[in-house]
Amino acid sequence: MSAISIIPERCTGCQSCEMVCSLSHDDSCSPAFSRIRIKKWEEISTFMPIVCQQCEKAPCITICPAGARKRIPETNAVVTDEKRCVGCKSCLYVCPYSAPAIHPLTQRTMTCDLCGGSPLCTQVCTTGALTYVPEGDLSIERKKVFGKVFLQAVRSG
Amino acid sequence: MIKGWTGKRLQIDLRRQKAWSEDIPISDLQQWIGGRGLNAIYFTQHFTTPVSPSSPENPVAFAVGPVSGTLAPCSGWTSIASFSPLSKPTSYGFTRMPGYFGASLKGSGYDQMILHGKADRPVYLWIDDGRVRFEDADHLWGKETTETTVAIQEEKEDRGIEVLCIGPAGEKQIPLANVIHRLSWTGDYLGLGYLLGVKNVKAIAIRGKKEISLHDPKQFLNLCLTLKDHILRDRKMQKMKEGGRFSFLSREGERMLREGEGWLLPGAARQWSNNLRSYLSSKEGCFSCPVHCGRNLQHQESHIGGIHLEKAWYFGPQMGIYHGEWTLRLHRLCQSQGLDPYLTSSLLVRIMDGMELDYLSKEDQRQIEGIEDRGEKAFSILQRMIEGWKGAYLPSPPPAENQELDVLADIISFCLIVVKHLNLKTLSNMIDLIHASTGFSLSQEELKDRVNRILRLESHLINLLFPKENPETYLRRKEDHLHEPIAQWTAA
Repeated sequence: MSAISIIPERCTGCQSCEMVCSLSHDDSCSPAFSRIRIKKWEEISTFMPIVCQQCEKAPCITICPAGARKRIPETNAVVTDEKRCVGCKSCLYVCPYSAPAIHPLTQRTMTCDLCGGSPLCTQVCTTGALTYVPEGDLSIERKKVFGKVFLQAVRSG
Repeated sequence: MIKGWTGKRLQIDLRRQKAWSEDIPISDLQQWIGGRGLNAIYFTQHFTTPVSPSSPENPVAFAVGPVSGTLAPCSGWTSIASFSPLSKPTSYGFTRMPGYFGASLKGSGYDQMILHGKADRPVYLWIDDGRVRFEDADHLWGKETTETTVAIQEEKEDRGIEVLCIGPAGEKQIPLANVIHRLSWTGDYLGLGYLLGVKNVKAIAIRGKKEISLHDPKQFLNLCLTLKDHILRDRKMQKMKEGGRFSFLSREGERMLREGEGWLLPGAARQWSNNLRSYLSSKEGCFSCPVHCGRNLQHQESHIGGIHLEKAWYFGPQMGIYHGEWTLRLHRLCQSQGLDPYLTSSLLVRIMDGMELDYLSKEDQRQIEGIEDRGEKAFSILQRMIEGWKGAYLPSPPPAENQELDVLADIISFCLIVVKHLNLKTLSNMIDLIHASTGFSLSQEELKDRVNRILRLESHLINLLFPKENPETYLRRKEDHLHEPIAQWTAA
């Protein structure tokens, strides 16, 4: 199984991921229709993409009173069944990442469905902030970054 | 239903504190495409004589194109036009600004926004999802640009808001004043900070998340992905992605040398660029950009916004400054005060070379004479200049090269750097994008023809003259009929 890896330090907040997400899912471009959201603090140049982490012990599945949140076995993505969802927003509050969003038109919740196995956001992200990697390699980039810092510290004594 | 475009123009009357939306005829959109074209036709339809930039009647127009605010790569630019305080005699001026402002304007549901009149006290405009509110800006007056940006976002409790603001230089109505957006991007060579300062507008804050619907979303998605790959395959673009615009530093230095700036030593320039590089931190990019050619600056643990090669160059070797620290401090001062980096740099050079001394008092001149270091000298002149602005000479903007490509980029709010590097290869891409976005198809000849018409409109506007009998007569509106040559063009 693969998952979306996020390295916030590399994000520049260009919003390409938001645009491709809304365009591919809802045929129109708008950050409000996107399943991935960028939070920004420009005065400290900090940008944070927030997207569903497809938790193994997903609290949204447990809490959903309508049984609408479910896992798709092929991709491991946790998605909302729009027919069942009643729009109670429980999953918004229980999610540790606050990743689910309300679809402006249907008023149901929406989260990342991994585009059926090849997430477009990871394809348009050119800075390397978003990548789609096998779960075993998820932290490899962060390890590399840490390794460099550590080596530098050791060398400079 | 109109696709791609929003078909709406936002009119803001600052004096009466009223805002309203009006329809832009579809024929106008198809004829002038967007951005710079929409601004040019608006001014042509409404003005037969120039308006004094200091008068409240002078409108400031912001416009975007049919693919702005979408996935289309490098489509985050905004075209801005007004009668500029930098031109003598007063004439029509226009500029472009990278960043996120245009995308947010489009997301608010407008292709064009026009500011009229003058607020009777400092205000900032708060455009939330298309609705305009005039907020009191007394508490922001006098604040520098970074502070203003953050203060507005904190006030509205949303850090996602895009803010365009002026600094103290704009409030003092210094003609060199500029606007700053996201601590980095500016609309240069227009005196935009002055124009907003005259209108008592401290900032424009936008939150626009409306959907932009497209004619053929599937095709549009494919075209965007293909164009993105095409841009990234280009060698220059790759270089720019890796090293930012700074990777062209050495080449830029060589070009300047060839142009006869004899005092420029390549060794010193290299030292300067290495010095400056040590302050660069993370990447910075515009809306929906795959390249990210800007770089952020980090100075003494604090983040001080983005910098682009040209601006750094103008505060460095262009002025004879080879110390990165001074380049940085000059850039920072300009950014926080809201000054145009290019024009400020050329003015500083003239002052330092003793060509323009009227800007400084005798006392100031005496104090500056003792300073040996060129960077330190420039910095202290700039500080004094902002303190007490007096002066008449204004450096005029340089003529644009390769104007057709400029217009082409500006009418669809595309990045000028990308369009120029990829040259006409993008012409067919642009036509496809416009078609997938709006459903309006046009041939290459038709697009080129539109570009030429816009150039003609602009040269007509630039050559507008004050009436001889009463040079101070400002506004001449003609609502009902078009100027004759224009009527012919629009009919065609």
